[in-house]
Amino acid sequence: MENRPLEYDYTVAKMFMLTTIILGIVGMAIGVFIAFELAFPGLNTVFGEGLAEYTNFSRLRPLHTDAVAFGFTVSGIFATWFYVGQRVLKVSMAESKFLMFIGKLQFWLYVIGVAAVVVSLFMGYTTSKEYAEFEWPIDIAIVVVWVLWGVSIFGLIGIRREKSLYISIWYYIATFLGVAMLYLFNNMEVPTMLATSPAGESAIGDWMHSVSMYAGTNDALVQWWYGHNAVAFVFTVPIIAMIYYFLPKESGQAIYSYKLSLLSFWGLMFVYLWAGGHHLLFSTVPDWMQTMGSIFSVILILPSWGSAINMLLTMKGEWQQVAASPLIKFMVLASTFYMFSTLEGPIQAIKSVNAIAHFTDWIVGHVHDGTLGWVGFMIIAALYHMAPRVFKRELYSKSLMAAQFWIQTLGIVLYFTSMWIAGITQGMMWRAHDEFGNLAYSFIDTVDVLHPYYALRGTGGLLYLAGFFIFAYNIYKTWTSNKEVDAERLNASPMGA
Amino acid sequence: MFHWLEKNPFLFAVGVFIVIAFAGLIEIVPNFAEASRPVIGTKPYSTLELAGRQVYIKNSCNACHSQLIRPFKSETDRYGHYSLSGEYAYDRPFLWGSKRTGPDLHRVGNYRTTEWHENHMKDPKSIVPTTIMPGYPWMFTTNADIDTAYAEQLTVAQFFGVPYNKPVPMKDGSTTVVKMGKSIKEARELALEEAKKVAADMKDQDVKDAVARGEIPEIVALIAYLNSLK
Amino acid sequence: MDLNEFAAYGYFFLVVFLVVGLYSYIYHLYKNRKDATGVDYEHYSNMALHDDIDSTPVKPVSHEKEN
Repeated sequence: MENRPLEYDYTVAKMFMLTTIILGIVGMAIGVFIAFELAFPGLNTVFGEGLAEYTNFSRLRPLHTDAVAFGFTVSGIFATWFYVGQRVLKVSMAESKFLMFIGKLQFWLYVIGVAAVVVSLFMGYTTSKEYAEFEWPIDIAIVVVWVLWGVSIFGLIGIRREKSLYISIWYYIATFLGVAMLYLFNNMEVPTMLATSPAGESAIGDWMHSVSMYAGTNDALVQWWYGHNAVAFVFTVPIIAMIYYFLPKESGQAIYSYKLSLLSFWGLMFVYLWAGGHHLLFSTVPDWMQTMGSIFSVILILPSWGSAINMLLTMKGEWQQVAASPLIKFMVLASTFYMFSTLEGPIQAIKSVNAIAHFTDWIVGHVHDGTLGWVGFMIIAALYHMAPRVFKRELYSKSLMAAQFWIQTLGIVLYFTSMWIAGITQGMMWRAHDEFGNLAYSFIDTVDVLHPYYALRGTGGLLYLAGFFIFAYNIYKTWTSNKEVDAERLNASPMGA
Repeated sequence: MFHWLEKNPFLFAVGVFIVIAFAGLIEIVPNFAEASRPVIGTKPYSTLELAGRQVYIKNSCNACHSQLIRPFKSETDRYGHYSLSGEYAYDRPFLWGSKRTGPDLHRVGNYRTTEWHENHMKDPKSIVPTTIMPGYPWMFTTNADIDTAYAEQLTVAQFFGVPYNKPVPMKDGSTTVVKMGKSIKEARELALEEAKKVAADMKDQDVKDAVARGEIPEIVALIAYLNSLK
Repeated sequence: MDLNEFAAYGYFFLVVFLVVGLYSYIYHLYKNRKDATGVDYEHYSNMALHDDIDSTPVKPVSHEKEN
């Protein structure tokens, strides 16, 4: 056995690539469906009145957000970790049976967890806290999966050949620690079966039910400290980890300034956690916290742009590669969208802007700039880069990639432009008074006016989903093609016509 | 000088953790010290109201409806007095929501009636012709989970000291007592008693019959909860 | 001195400590081209560019202690 030269072992990476694609399709398809439900409410009962309970907007909405955040994105994070981690530490998973076992265990537990989440959310088991809807038994399973991932990270670091930790590893470690802390504190809850009645009865009612440890305003504070920073540590930090590896690798260009990457890292860690208060402007949390949330959100532009500019400048003098390679197009547009949404976010966090924007579709638009443009494109690019190396096949089709790129870009543009207009329109109508000081519009007026924008948004989402199907097809054809190539040592990924 | 941070994964992890945990420590912990005290007139949820709140959560009503009135003229004109921190003292979890696809509900009990909710939940278009809200007809035939609501009451009373069976001050200077059953049986009886009052104002004959039989459809619990939002 | 006041002092000094730490790190990066082991910071980019299993590490882990 020792006669074979040592190779990187991508078994676990491949497994998570599969769930990235499957859960991406599931999450995005649900997203498109509920987007059209808002435009055409008849769709709520399109599968029949009997199933309406499971197909209406309200039951499906948490499924959409959780499937794309914890399904598509987290799978993508795991898949890239089990690829990038080995490579920049220069150690193979094949060298440790223990880590291999832990990796596979993590995958299967994750799959079980996902299945439990899907079933329980369909059935209506939810804690109602956004992106933390899971009931307590699933929370425990998630913590176990996360701890196993921690074992993988630090285990692999423990047997590394490269002494220094590459910047991507910094970001993966931060992801691990950040999510662990946030998730634990936000999900502190007491299962109701622990209570005993004065008559001595216990384990009363449904065992899948719990009560939050925090009440009212405190609960809101913890939830948005979590909600905001879940965006930080799921949608930002690990995606930066990916781009810091995949963009230099694919283009063959060293990071423009490695020092700037270190600096932006600490800047981001220092500032991000403070900004959660901007979700609660004009609410009942103390004023100083609202103001601090607002100020730190604006400061957050600096480290965010530090990373984004560093990425764009990595391509300095090599812009012909952007024109030539659809894979690099995905990454360059991803960092552009990152700059864009990290500018838009702070603008929305300014109190006077927030007064109009909060509770409207503009916020939804902002989230999707980031997730579709930055997170989605980066994970798609990462998987495209990994595919020829883990399957040892040429990428099936470059022209399909290019088509996918333009279709999805058009989808994102439709999405955010329609949501901007919808959000600002509705925000302005809510606050409009007539010359006598009465409200100018009833609530339903502000809903009716949104119909064309909702239809446009659904169309944008549909285009993005169509692009994602092209992606899945392209990866599938790459996997099953018989054109073997040894791409492992190349920079630019080999692509078929 | 910073070498240890760049090379030693353990110290690095500790450093990252201190930096990210710090903001939470400052922002969250002090506010907990002065845990939200209920404002006068805020009382704990009854068993039926809590069951209704669980129906509200089960169907993610909070995905489209906020329960937070911001201190702007346009909002107080539309929804009533702006929200106060202490009004949420018994809300576990909070239900502020983050998106207003439909109107705010924090004080919906002040301006909507049982009958309005009944018609609206069954078929929203019958009340608001252009609404995009779907109907929830199954709530008229599915029974509410009173036992779990009771378990929740017991939990908050035991673990968080929520004052059930104790006098709670009201705005007019009087006190009121929110009763909680001593056993499951008593809790069910209390809930049914309250459900009968709600059902008396309803039109749906099937719901009325169900309540007369001793069952509590989800819609009855939900309306009891919505009516309690004032 | 009650708990709140104590916490406030604690926070204040922690803030000062972290801010000083961050700024001196910035200054350190600005001032020095190489880190303490004599590796140019910018060479660390090569960890991604030369990441085959048999590529030479930028800074190998020394196993001397174990021998």
